[in-house]
Amino acid sequence: MTWIIRNLWLIPALPLLAAGLGALLQRPQRRLAATLSIGSMAVAFLIACGGFAMTLGEHTERQVHNFPWFQFGETLLQLGWVLDPLTASMLVMITFVGGLIFIYSVGYMARDENFTRFFCFLSLFAAAMLGLVISNNLLMLFMCWELVGLASYLLIGFWHHKPSAAAAAKKAFITTRVGDIGFLLGIVWLYHETGTLLFYSDGAGCLEQGALAKLVAQTTVGGMFVSTAISLLLFCGAVGKSGQFPLHVWLPDAMEGPTPVSALIHAATMVTAGVFLVARMYPLFNAQFTTGLTQDSVLPPISTALQVVTWTGAITAVFAALIAVAQTDIKRILAYSTVSQLGYMFVGLGVGGPAVGMFHLLTHAFFKALLFLGAGSVIHGCHEEQDIRRMGGLCKRMPVTFTTYAVGMLALSGFPLVFSGFWSKDEILHSAMNWPVSKGPFILALTGAVLTAFYMTRQMWFVFFRPRTELSLGRGDGVHDFVPHESPPIMTLPLVSLAACAVLLSIFATPVWPWFDAYLAGHLSELHLGWSGDAATGIVMVLSIMAVVIGLGSGWALYSRVGDGEAIDPIEQRFPGIFAALRERLRVDEFYEITILRLSRIVTALSDGVDRFGWSACVDLVGFLTVGLAWMSRYFDQIFINSGFDVSCENLRGLGRLAGRLQNGQAQRYLRILAFGVVLLIVALAWMGDSSR
Amino acid sequence: MDYPGLIKLLAPECVVVLTALAVLFADVKFWRGLPNGRRFGRGVTLSTVGLMAAALFAEFGENSADVLMGTLVLTPVSQFLKLVLLLLTLATVWLCGDTDFTDHVGEFLALLLLAATGMMLLISTENLLMIFVSLELVSLSLYVITAFNKRSSRSAEAALKYFLFGGMAAGFTLFGFSLLYGLCGSIHLPDIALALNTKGSDPLARAAVVMVLAGFGFKIAAVPFHFWAPDAYEGAPAPAAAFIASGSKVASFFILTTLLQSGMPGAAGSGAWKAFVPGWMPIVAILATASMVFGNLAALAQSGLRRLLACSAIAHAGYALLAVLADPPDAKPALLYYVTTYAMTLVGMFGLVSVVERGHGDDSIGRLAGLSQRSPLLAACLSVFSLSLAGVPPLSGFFGKFYVFVALVKSGPSYSSHFWLALVAIAMSCVSLYYYLQVLKQVWVGEPLGDTRPAKVSAALTFVVAGLALGVVLLGCAPELLLAHFR
Repeated sequence: MTWIIRNLWLIPALPLLAAGLGALLQRPQRRLAATLSIGSMAVAFLIACGGFAMTLGEHTERQVHNFPWFQFGETLLQLGWVLDPLTASMLVMITFVGGLIFIYSVGYMARDENFTRFFCFLSLFAAAMLGLVISNNLLMLFMCWELVGLASYLLIGFWHHKPSAAAAAKKAFITTRVGDIGFLLGIVWLYHETGTLLFYSDGAGCLEQGALAKLVAQTTVGGMFVSTAISLLLFCGAVGKSGQFPLHVWLPDAMEGPTPVSALIHAATMVTAGVFLVARMYPLFNAQFTTGLTQDSVLPPISTALQVVTWTGAITAVFAALIAVAQTDIKRILAYSTVSQLGYMFVGLGVGGPAVGMFHLLTHAFFKALLFLGAGSVIHGCHEEQDIRRMGGLCKRMPVTFTTYAVGMLALSGFPLVFSGFWSKDEILHSAMNWPVSKGPFILALTGAVLTAFYMTRQMWFVFFRPRTELSLGRGDGVHDFVPHESPPIMTLPLVSLAACAVLLSIFATPVWPWFDAYLAGHLSELHLGWSGDAATGIVMVLSIMAVVIGLGSGWALYSRVGDGEAIDPIEQRFPGIFAALRERLRVDEFYEITILRLSRIVTALSDGVDRFGWSACVDLVGFLTVGLAWMSRYFDQIFINSGFDVSCENLRGLGRLAGRLQNGQAQRYLRILAFGVVLLIVALAWMGDSSR
Repeated sequence: MDYPGLIKLLAPECVVVLTALAVLFADVKFWRGLPNGRRFGRGVTLSTVGLMAAALFAEFGENSADVLMGTLVLTPVSQFLKLVLLLLTLATVWLCGDTDFTDHVGEFLALLLLAATGMMLLISTENLLMIFVSLELVSLSLYVITAFNKRSSRSAEAALKYFLFGGMAAGFTLFGFSLLYGLCGSIHLPDIALALNTKGSDPLARAAVVMVLAGFGFKIAAVPFHFWAPDAYEGAPAPAAAFIASGSKVASFFILTTLLQSGMPGAAGSGAWKAFVPGWMPIVAILATASMVFGNLAALAQSGLRRLLACSAIAHAGYALLAVLADPPDAKPALLYYVTTYAMTLVGMFGLVSVVERGHGDDSIGRLAGLSQRSPLLAACLSVFSLSLAGVPPLSGFFGKFYVFVALVKSGPSYSSHFWLALVAIAMSCVSLYYYLQVLKQVWVGEPLGDTRPAKVSAALTFVVAGLALGVVLLGCAPELLLAHFR
């Protein structure tokens, strides 16, 4: 089985190869492009399953494979990959969900003329994400991280003829770049302190005891531990990539890309890279200065870094859920819900550790991909209509889409017992309640749960249940009206598979059998038949069920009265001011526009002016001086040197012609120079010997 | 040591010699009546099989031995280098695939393979006599294949110059060797090293050093022993020129370093700035500086691709000589990485030269105009090779120079002692960018002259050139793949 460890690189390499070959294909070779991409994902999935199976045993330790990349002087740069439960579960999720989305794209993009390019980009993206997950080196992770950013730029702007898509792609790229500055600084600092960027390397890696002890032993500005400072810098990168407040602005706009892209990148995989980063670096985030004496000292038992992670997540969770309530674009609602759910994952990481956060990541990946693909199917069926106010009554016309979408919606809302979202959210709430620092995140998370159920009910009502009298959609001008229809099987089959997973995953983390917790921690779990939780578990579960019921109930009560036509939203009727603010996304974009962007424009104008009038004057001056000098030297050359030089050149040329006419003349001269050279060198040596004496 | 044991140790060489004889025999006996193209096709196939078999022996056979006082010395490094040489030979042989410069197909391939045998023997010995004999085997074979294009008087002229020059250089080498033997009483390098520890400053030893360096300076085309190179590169058939520029260089640099560093440490002297001590180090420093300056400046004035490559080869010999000055543990890996990747680049370059020549009849740089439209793949390969030669990261040419400079600056009594050489090298690299970019400008910006149809190139040649370009990129991105074998 060590074959899998040594050849783990195949998993990202296969999609990368597919992307490379796809780039060489011609437009008409659609079938080949799709086959390559899907085939490579399928093989990668099989290998990932093999890797996953290896981590299942009784005594499975983390396995790494490091190899030297290059060496200069004393510095040896090593790259490598790691196989542990964290990596294995991510690999299986990405290849499985990714593969299904690839299949779905065949149907969704069927009419696009750049079909081959689309699959090339998709494969590139999958390769980068898989590389990110397996890497055992922060540098390699960062490279893949940036590749993911590049691929997402290409895919969001795939329909680049639409100005809004081009702008969204640019926005996504630049906004995440802001976070990446912090990330890069963190990497550099970490390397400076520990001298390695390998995560695990037989005790010498930066996430192992030796390095961590060194990092927490030092303090920096404001009495922070160095480990905390580095963690916060790395967290900047995660905030950017995972769309957390205040860098969330790019994610909703990124919905301009084709829907499979939204499902793959902005729900299931790319945005989770930030969460994965924190989970991977958890030992660093969690590092605390502990000696035997600090049991009852003033040090908080939770590290500052994790507190920041928790609060950022909690605030984002509620903030984004609030905005989602007032949106009308079907994909935008889902986008804000993603931002909100990512907030939950960070809360989970902060209060409960990697197992809690990662489980929500995995369940969310399945049901959010399901919801996005369902939304894509709706959009496809309604002929590119995205406004929920223009939809309605689709539950009869698109039965498969409706059923699977309902499963996804219930999982996202956290509907009790058979949906995976309930259990993963319940675990987060449970850990948040037991968090010793503050009860704030728990209350925020509970509020978020109510809001989530509420806005999903609103969406379901508008899209599927609301009765419609006329059977046509569109712009109402009679020309563009269509009858909505169910999507082809190649699109509905992935939906059904994902829906099944959204339900089945729930069995892995119930309090009865907390398998996933134990799996990530590296030991086997036993099956507790019967009730194993304490009273608090029960209370949390009841509260969580109540939150869902309140959300669903109030949503249904408010919206079931909204009938056909473009009626005003019930909330808008009562609180027009608040609703408008929410619909305008709390004006965060506008705020950035008048602060950061204006500032950068001023700085740009300023530096442009300095460039134009300061530097360019200097450059011109130097240029004029040079030209002047050149003129002078040219006259000097022409008058004094050239006349003599020309004569001697003519003589040399004449000699050369003469030598050319004598056939062997040149070779003889060559030999003479050779002999002369040897003699000269010997003389030089003798002379050197004399002078050194 | 009995004969079967010896043959086992020399298995790769034996296989190559047998292949050479088989190709010669088959061509004379069976293939005479066929058209040239098919004769070359069959000959190349047969040689490929033989070279692959030899490569397998080199990879999996015995890799450490010392027979008869250093007559045959096998080390893991030398065995890996044999593999490299065999692959370079293979690439060169494939370049012959669709040429028609000669009717003597069997002879040409056989001589090429014999030269390869000479190179493999050259790198697996520590014995002066054996070094000389192998050197002559390589040289004589190369003189002949330079002259193989009988339809061109240039080819004959180049070969004659090459031969005369080489003959004289060999005379110097032999003279130097005999002086060494006279001084030390041995032809075994470790014994010579011991004897020279006490006699290193003897004037005779210094004369011997210069004479030996004259012979090797000829092989690697270092100034002032370089005069043959532009003519030979220009006149020889493309595969022959490729082989002179690649395999021959790799083997010569390896044995030169062995000879100087493990055979004559006692006569090293010092090439540190303002603290010259007589010995081979200051001579190598002088040769290196002269080669870098002369090669790069001369290349500026060239208008033919082959002469340009010859001048750049002189400059690159200068860079590589710098590695010889570094301290022994760092010197060989840096040097071998440098010359191996350089050899790959040049074989690829000569493949492209043959394409240009077949299309237009001459090799002037202007003929490259519009290549990017006629054959994007070859244009991309040419760009990779040119940029690698200029030393642009992340191509292997950059890392080659980088490792050489690092090894050089680290060596010597202090960091500043060899720094002057590194400075010259870096300044001259800047100069070299000019002429490499001139080539690329023609390829990508120039308007095609006359013929705008896609270039006709055989699949074998495309495969070799593209493979070498890929190798140059890959070894640049992951230099450890190659370096690990040279440590």
